[in-house]
Amino acid sequence: VSYLFYPGCSLHGTAWDFNESTKQVVKALGIKMPEVEDWICCGSSPAHQTDALLALALPAKNLLAAKGKTVAVCCAACYSRLKTANHHIANEPETRQKVAEVVGTDYDGRTQVRHLLEILVKEVGLKKIASTIQRPLTGMKVVCYYGCLLSRPPEVTQFDDPENPTLMDQLLRAAGAEVIDFPHKTECCGAGYGITDVSLVTRLSGQILAMAKETGADCIATACPLCQLNLDLRQSAIEEDQHTNYGLPVFFFTQLLGMALGVSSQALGLESLVVNPNELLATRGMGA
Amino acid sequence: MTLNLKNANVVGDFSAYVDQASGARLLSCLQCKKCSAGCPVAGQTDIKAHEIVRLVQLGQEKEVLSSRMIWECTSCQTCATRCPQKVSIAALIDTLRCVSRAQERVNERTTLPAFNDAFLDSVRKRGRVYEVGLMAAYKLRTLRLTEDMAMLPLMLKKRKLRLLPTEVPGSVERRRMWKRAKAAGGKRL
Repeated sequence: VSYLFYPGCSLHGTAWDFNESTKQVVKALGIKMPEVEDWICCGSSPAHQTDALLALALPAKNLLAAKGKTVAVCCAACYSRLKTANHHIANEPETRQKVAEVVGTDYDGRTQVRHLLEILVKEVGLKKIASTIQRPLTGMKVVCYYGCLLSRPPEVTQFDDPENPTLMDQLLRAAGAEVIDFPHKTECCGAGYGITDVSLVTRLSGQILAMAKETGADCIATACPLCQLNLDLRQSAIEEDQHTNYGLPVFFFTQLLGMALGVSSQALGLESLVVNPNELLATRGMGA
Repeated sequence: MTLNLKNANVVGDFSAYVDQASGARLLSCLQCKKCSAGCPVAGQTDIKAHEIVRLVQLGQEKEVLSSRMIWECTSCQTCATRCPQKVSIAALIDTLRCVSRAQERVNERTTLPAFNDAFLDSVRKRGRVYEVGLMAAYKLRTLRLTEDMAMLPLMLKKRKLRLLPTEVPGSVERRRMWKRAKAAGGKRL
């Protein structure tokens, strides 16, 4: 199977380390994943809050550019927008026609979209991944945080159980980590409100950090650029607000998997993390 | 208080429009409040999710369109996921946001529409979001000049901000897409 990669704006900006670590992981597993040619933004929340047609036309334009190949996505928001467009266009003839008029080309809504977690667990398979692990994440206590948009709404994304997804848990367990059960797997972190109403993010992300600490985890694994940004970049402000100390490194799951596959910290972009993971990695024998 | 509702009360122009444009299926709501129970902003907002549904059914246009709720909703989709009647509450709120803007009834405490406009302008011009330009445009529109500036040096140090924008070809075509979407009323259904 070959994939075309739709990185989305965040992976070319704030989450450049998600992009780099993804490239390293797929390379190590022998997957070819070139970018969709001249991809454009999926429209994200600003589009669906402003113009319901544009919000479907932007994903449709990108999915047309994939020319029938399966599209691989890492960003949870892009994934949600591409899947939502497919859902409406494939199931509502009236919507399909309206979108075709906006885009200028008819799109049937049937280009396959997969999140990297689905590709790794369901298509590559845990057996193969486990056999490729060089430096198992032994002793690393990880909670997996999925956020909102991978699993919700389930009839649109068809990703995993909407209340208790386990794809990331399975993957990191196969990489040797001690994955801890986490009740806040799919709670909202506050999303893009860091810019327009930061108190909302402080409160919601604060609850996620507090629960992660409560479970005894060493670190958090994420699969969404915005979740990672809120939990990592804003962690010290949240600690100040809540008069507490979390000190929890927040990785992209591809960074943890990449380390287990023997990729260097530098190639995985670990320097981009705001909460420094070096001490944790050194105590778990994963230091550079 | 007891309300005796007849179908005639709940298919007024406003509720019928919103129901149709969002595909939310408002009349299926049982008022079980499962949506609000799982809503991350229910504790802080003015009108909760299940109340929004009821107010729209009853044609309470002004309350809903000028509420804080429609701009505080994080679009997390928990409401729609847990609704036993499959009412698409998140889609309903998106439609209300559009109507609220069209009727110029946006709650004065939110700056989200300004952010959304700056974001979409960036996408139309360049094809992709250029964060530095987006933040500058948003700050100029809202005059929130100093907020969040403390993050800037750290984000630059961590290479999280690109200093130069990427330009994807096709800006003329994109401008046409925007125009055609607007001309069709921005409605999916």
